[in-house]
Amino acid sequence: MMRLDRLPNQRPDERVVLFLRRHWFAILSIATAFTLLTSVPLLLGWFFWDTVQGWTEQEVLGPIIVIIGSIYFLSVWLFAFLEFTDYYLDTWIITSERIINIEQQGLFNRTASELDLASVQDTTAEIRGIWQTLFTYGNVFVQTGGEKARFHFKNIDNPEHVKELINALVEEDKQRLSMLGAGGKGKMKTMIK
Amino acid sequence: MFDLPNFSIPIYVFLFVFAAYMLFYVLYALFNIYHLIRYGVYGLGLYLIVTIFTGGTIILVAGSVFLLMDYDWLHPITFGDAVDYYNEDLFPNL
Repeated sequence: MMRLDRLPNQRPDERVVLFLRRHWFAILSIATAFTLLTSVPLLLGWFFWDTVQGWTEQEVLGPIIVIIGSIYFLSVWLFAFLEFTDYYLDTWIITSERIINIEQQGLFNRTASELDLASVQDTTAEIRGIWQTLFTYGNVFVQTGGEKARFHFKNIDNPEHVKELINALVEEDKQRLSMLGAGGKGKMKTMIK
Repeated sequence: MFDLPNFSIPIYVFLFVFAAYMLFYVLYALFNIYHLIRYGVYGLGLYLIVTIFTGGTIILVAGSVFLLMDYDWLHPITFGDAVDYYNEDLFPNL
């Protein structure tokens, strides 16, 4: 289990500033698919109740229909929860010193990566299309120096705010590092004297 | 013309199909719960999610077992009489 107060490789004085998951619209999509996949067969069964009841009372057809129905509803339940797990385990953690990106792809693929705020060169917020504009969600891309791939915050809430926050933290971190560097040099000078 | 051999099997063979599916379901469900507990963020929400998933599974399996208990699983399916199953009783409203 991951604890936000005890992050992996946590540094001294590092604090969690923002914990992000995808926008709740992702949950809405899963819930809508689940509702449709369960309610449509149930409504059809209710509408044609006499026919369905006749089928289930038959000695051979009845058990087959019940088994197929059970497998169907269990599969929908399992599918919905697998999708939810995928949503739940995709997280981005912004701390005062780094960005941690944890991505779950299906049940068997998981990628965890992190980058120091000091290495961030550019951040881009992107809101595309009618749904993202209406519900204020979208993507944030964080570009580092060199040829490393961009960090991609997918479908997060209020990407503009997240972008500004990262920029502010990057500046803060650069100032902190330059102060540490100055302090370090000062100490070195004192030792040489 | 030729005659189909008139052999029969009990309908409990379908229970083996259901059992095989349940084995697959349990394996996947356990993997899912393991991932949630291993990688999820510690808190009440995590326990709530695992409880809802497990509870939903128990309700669905219990409902299935309850419905399946009423049938006579030793009833034979006779292949020679297979055509008898497709009779007018299938669609009484039509």
